[in-house]
Amino acid sequence: MNAASELARVALVGNPNCGKTALFNLLTGSRQKVANYAGVTVERKEGRLRTPGGRPVAVLDLPGAYSLNAASLDEAVTRDLIRGFYPGEPAPDLLVCVVDATNLRLHLRFVLEVRGLGRPMVVALNMMDAARRRGIEIDVDTLARELGVPVVETVAVRRDGARDLLAQLDAIGDAAQQPRQALPGTGDPGVEPGAALHAETRRLLALAVAMPRRTAAVDDALDRWLLHPVFGLLALALVMFLVFQAVYAWATPLMDAIEAATGWLGATVGATLPAGPLRGLLVDGVIAGLGGVVVFLPQILILFAFILALEESGYLPRAAFLLDRGMAAAGLSGRSFIPLLSSFACAVPGIMSTRSIQDPRDRLATILVAPLMTCSARLPVYALLIGAFIPQRAVGWFNLQGLVLFSLYVAAILSALAVAWVMKRWRRDRGEHPLLLELPSYRLPHLRDVAIGLWERALIFLKRVGGIILALTILLWVLLNVPAGVGIEDTLAGRIGRALAVLFEPLGFDWRISIALIPTMAAREVMVSSLATVYAVAAANDDAASDVLRGMIAQDWSVATGIALLAWFIYAPQCISTLATIRRETHSWKQTAFATGYLFGLAYLVAFVAYRIALAMGLG
Amino acid sequence: MSAGLLLQYAVVALAAAASVLVVLHKRFPNTTRRLRVALALPLLRAGRPGWMRALGRWLAPAPTTTGKDCGGCDSCG
Repeated sequence: MNAASELARVALVGNPNCGKTALFNLLTGSRQKVANYAGVTVERKEGRLRTPGGRPVAVLDLPGAYSLNAASLDEAVTRDLIRGFYPGEPAPDLLVCVVDATNLRLHLRFVLEVRGLGRPMVVALNMMDAARRRGIEIDVDTLARELGVPVVETVAVRRDGARDLLAQLDAIGDAAQQPRQALPGTGDPGVEPGAALHAETRRLLALAVAMPRRTAAVDDALDRWLLHPVFGLLALALVMFLVFQAVYAWATPLMDAIEAATGWLGATVGATLPAGPLRGLLVDGVIAGLGGVVVFLPQILILFAFILALEESGYLPRAAFLLDRGMAAAGLSGRSFIPLLSSFACAVPGIMSTRSIQDPRDRLATILVAPLMTCSARLPVYALLIGAFIPQRAVGWFNLQGLVLFSLYVAAILSALAVAWVMKRWRRDRGEHPLLLELPSYRLPHLRDVAIGLWERALIFLKRVGGIILALTILLWVLLNVPAGVGIEDTLAGRIGRALAVLFEPLGFDWRISIALIPTMAAREVMVSSLATVYAVAAANDDAASDVLRGMIAQDWSVATGIALLAWFIYAPQCISTLATIRRETHSWKQTAFATGYLFGLAYLVAFVAYRIALAMGLG
Repeated sequence: MSAGLLLQYAVVALAAAASVLVVLHKRFPNTTRRLRVALALPLLRAGRPGWMRALGRWLAPAPTTTGKDCGGCDSCG
């Protein structure tokens, strides 16, 4: 880096939970681009900024890592990238090693490892405000002198919290390359590298840090309740329960507005264009289909707002700790928690992140049950069916629709535990593996970071709507209109649907549901757009009044059919990407076929039983 | 059939063709890649006219970076 006007590449590295992403958000604001690293499903976040001196800087937020001896795919990406070995990624001009100032005992070890690479680096002592509140005194000059690299204080949640760091970025390239510094004791016979790292960390702490107590008093007080084997689990259940209540209680006004906007757009386009196939495609296909999916965006965003806030607050690792005993009894390990939690967003990154599970038995069990977690793509389908068949009324203090959504999530989790337990019994395996987990300090979620996270989720959802969902909606509309001039049941889609209905009739699914299940293999949300398109085309053909999809299916289906379809979607692996990822991660067609078979088998069985019970209860 | 109606059918046909390509590209990337290679190879053989070779180059998928320095056929899992 010579010219001040040249784009400098800076990488933020550090342990998980050091506030790296919050610092990244502070530095780059909304000027971020989220993608994946080439060939892997590890999130790549890059943003741009201009330093006070006018230098343009590209900032890369690397995945959190505890060590350069990578134990997971995320850590391997970070290791390779900062060493300049990652394909297609030039080595950064400067490494900003972010550390949590309240947890230097753990984070300084990684700083020493990174320093050993001999690349230009700056240490950012993040969360300095929290450290001061806890009475932790850090002699920054001594630390910088002993480490041999610049050390700056940052507070990622404060507007000017990165001022010193920005000044350091201005000076990129001015300083000479940092010399590689060997740790004292390394190379001595009988001294392990890990022990030398630990000894050097303790030396630095003794020289530069005065800490009144190792943990925060508020953390200890909260953990006494939140990690309690009984009260902790009750608190976890209560938190999750309230989240699902909020999804229904808060989203309604926004959903009504989107529905009204979709209806207005359909009517306007219908009145503007001349009669013909293009008007049919736009009004009954694109607008009805996509509008039916977009309407659930508020519910998805509310759910993710809570998940992001819980993640930021430091509560999620505690939830993993609480559930470890139950998961071990079911044949999973605590290490399965993070992949399974990721699967609540999408099973694909969840299955990929099982690479951090070293034990092959635990890894396979986690991969096979990950598709059971309720991914965000199921939410529009659940919301549609619950909205159509479950009345919007209160049960005590609670919203009935929220209760049903909560029970669907619980049913999926219990099913995953039951499947893992059966697999463990099948293998006659009684071994267990200990869980080692960092519990970060509690902190208040920062509004800006939650907002940026939500913006990313909204973009991902809308890109899916404008990509795969739009494409499948168009294709389904074409199939529903070929050949022209016949009734909808005699079109190509109608014939395929009627053929499939023989298979699905015992579950209460008619030909319309059966045809909608086929494109749903590409993405679960397509179920909603497909049903919207089928019903819109049918309504147009019958010259009937158009209504919102929920109203139409509530009128057309029995409650028993609605319940059976909900049960089907808990289990059915209606996602070709998930099955492809299972194949890639297990390198086995046998395991992929097993996962597909048992999930479809369970889906059929449970939907059948649910349908028959509902019929027996007079809900037909 | 009027010109307006013909135009509408043409737009619908184009949208359907584009949708097929999007679905193939997004959900079956390896199959799409193999298909593009299979279509491009005969067009790129020696002795083919210039326009055919240009079409072959356009059809051929770009090499991917897999980090294995093997050309990136994406078929090794």
